[in-house]
Amino acid sequence: MAAIDLTGGTSATTRRHSAPRVPRDQTTRHFARVGWGFSAPAFVVIGVFTIFPILFALVLSLENVNVTANGFSLLGGTLNNYKIMGESSLWHHALWFTSIYTLVTVAAELLLGTLFALVLERLAAGRGAMMALLLIPWSLITVISAELWSYIYNPTYGVLGEFWHAITGGSAPNVLGYPLSATIALMFADVWKTTPFVAIIVLAGLVMIPEELIEAAEVDGASSWKSFWRVTVPLLRPTLGIAVLFRVLQAFGLFDLPYVLTGGGPGTSTESLAMLGYNTMFTNIDFGPGAAVAVSTAVIVLIVCLVFLRAFRQQVGRETLNA
Amino acid sequence: MRRRKRRGWRRYINLPYVGSFFITLFILLPMYWMLASSFKTQSNVGASPPQYFPNPISTSSYHSAFNDGFGGYIANSLIIAICSTALVLVFGTFAGYALGRLPMRGKYPVMISLLMISVFPEIAVVAPLYLILKDVGWLNSYQALIFPYTAFNLPFAIWILRNYFLGISLSMEESARIDGAGSLRTLWSIVFPQVRPGVFTAGVFTFTACWTEFLMALSFDFGKKTIPVGIASFGSQFTVPYGAYFAASVIAVVPIAILVLVFRKAVVSGLTSGAVKG
Repeated sequence: MAAIDLTGGTSATTRRHSAPRVPRDQTTRHFARVGWGFSAPAFVVIGVFTIFPILFALVLSLENVNVTANGFSLLGGTLNNYKIMGESSLWHHALWFTSIYTLVTVAAELLLGTLFALVLERLAAGRGAMMALLLIPWSLITVISAELWSYIYNPTYGVLGEFWHAITGGSAPNVLGYPLSATIALMFADVWKTTPFVAIIVLAGLVMIPEELIEAAEVDGASSWKSFWRVTVPLLRPTLGIAVLFRVLQAFGLFDLPYVLTGGGPGTSTESLAMLGYNTMFTNIDFGPGAAVAVSTAVIVLIVCLVFLRAFRQQVGRETLNA
Repeated sequence: MRRRKRRGWRRYINLPYVGSFFITLFILLPMYWMLASSFKTQSNVGASPPQYFPNPISTSSYHSAFNDGFGGYIANSLIIAICSTALVLVFGTFAGYALGRLPMRGKYPVMISLLMISVFPEIAVVAPLYLILKDVGWLNSYQALIFPYTAFNLPFAIWILRNYFLGISLSMEESARIDGAGSLRTLWSIVFPQVRPGVFTAGVFTFTACWTEFLMALSFDFGKKTIPVGIASFGSQFTVPYGAYFAASVIAVVPIAILVLVFRKAVVSGLTSGAVKG
């Protein structure tokens, strides 16, 4: 999770960065040195435990890696790992599954989260308590929520089957036993846990919209439906954009939920890219192809992120950057 | 809060309250189910049709969770989360101060790199980190998780803290300097107290992230299981001890829920820092 000031902060830095450089006197140089000294511990930890592993992953994906109980050896460069990955139907399926999963859950969470935020914004009292409530699923360990949903979905003693029986009279379905229903079950568990997070972000955007704008639209005769689409949604777009970006990044790295709830099953029908990478590396001890899966997942995430930022910047454009 | 004229049936039904009622049900029903099931007897957890209220109320699931070593998992999670949070706050405050306040060249590329790093999916670094940790003999140790967690949570903490440092007034800092206080002293006694909300935000986020992290904990720590890994490894292939799961879950949820509710404002400001500043 990284909630980061994407526009305001960077644009401020850009402006300062592109300003004409003033000659640096001795004090300035002294404080610059102090600055690098102060940030050195953070940069060293990030360098050793994040940047170096990222580069090392790239190397692994381009090597014949041999891992034994004693250690590992690199047996020469190869593109074979990517070839194995590209020809594997498991990878094709995981890519397809992860993409559809991301698309559907993020769309559902955005719709439902906006609805939640609109309800809370109109609440005359008790908004603080509702915000506290929304934080509970956000702070829940995903493994716990996966166990909880697997208990709810259980065909023998699950409460879902009991409801099904009460409504239709039929016997309880084995929700996790079929690819389609298992996928929907996973998506529902995800929507339950993450919609509150989206709602909090959207609510923060909603309360920033000046009341006068919506009142003016309504004085001009716009219905509340129309003023919502013509005034609220366009002003909310930067907020929605940030919420979508965070969610897409998170959903594409999907691991915990299917690992515990479905184990990737039935078969490998709910195996995400991260699960495929993990299983290739830690179950099959096949680090080269596993690293190829992991690196390509990271590259896809980065591309999505860059495309998104570009589209997002053009859409909301200058008014937010200059605000 | 907007006041709207309500027409027709809306005069009789307060939609926001009805909506909030359903949101509350949506969030709390599964949580209730977890709590209720943790207090059922072993046989009633698997009862069909399910028991909607535990009867009799039993704490046997709590006993069996602790018999399965849950106490040790709590200790491991606490040690790892507290150490990582402390390191993130110390390193992050210094770096955030430097990047927000001091005249370093190349700040912009550094901030953008931090942003890029923070979007990398964890799966990309698990394999290389595993091999590195194995090579230096750190697998099954606390530091195998403490340092990666510190590294992964630092970028967010640095960004949050830097934004706070940018927002506070310069004049006090300058007068302290004129009075002859050194950099460290200025930071400690003048600047630091003013960014306390940012420290809370970064702290709660880091602690929550460490408490809930699963993929790295699963891959690196076979001996020192954290709560998520511990819960996932209860039972065997043939028995699913849901009672113990839920007892353990309730115990794991309580501290983090208290933390998040106490620091509610800090958490919300962290979650929305991207959205509101835009």
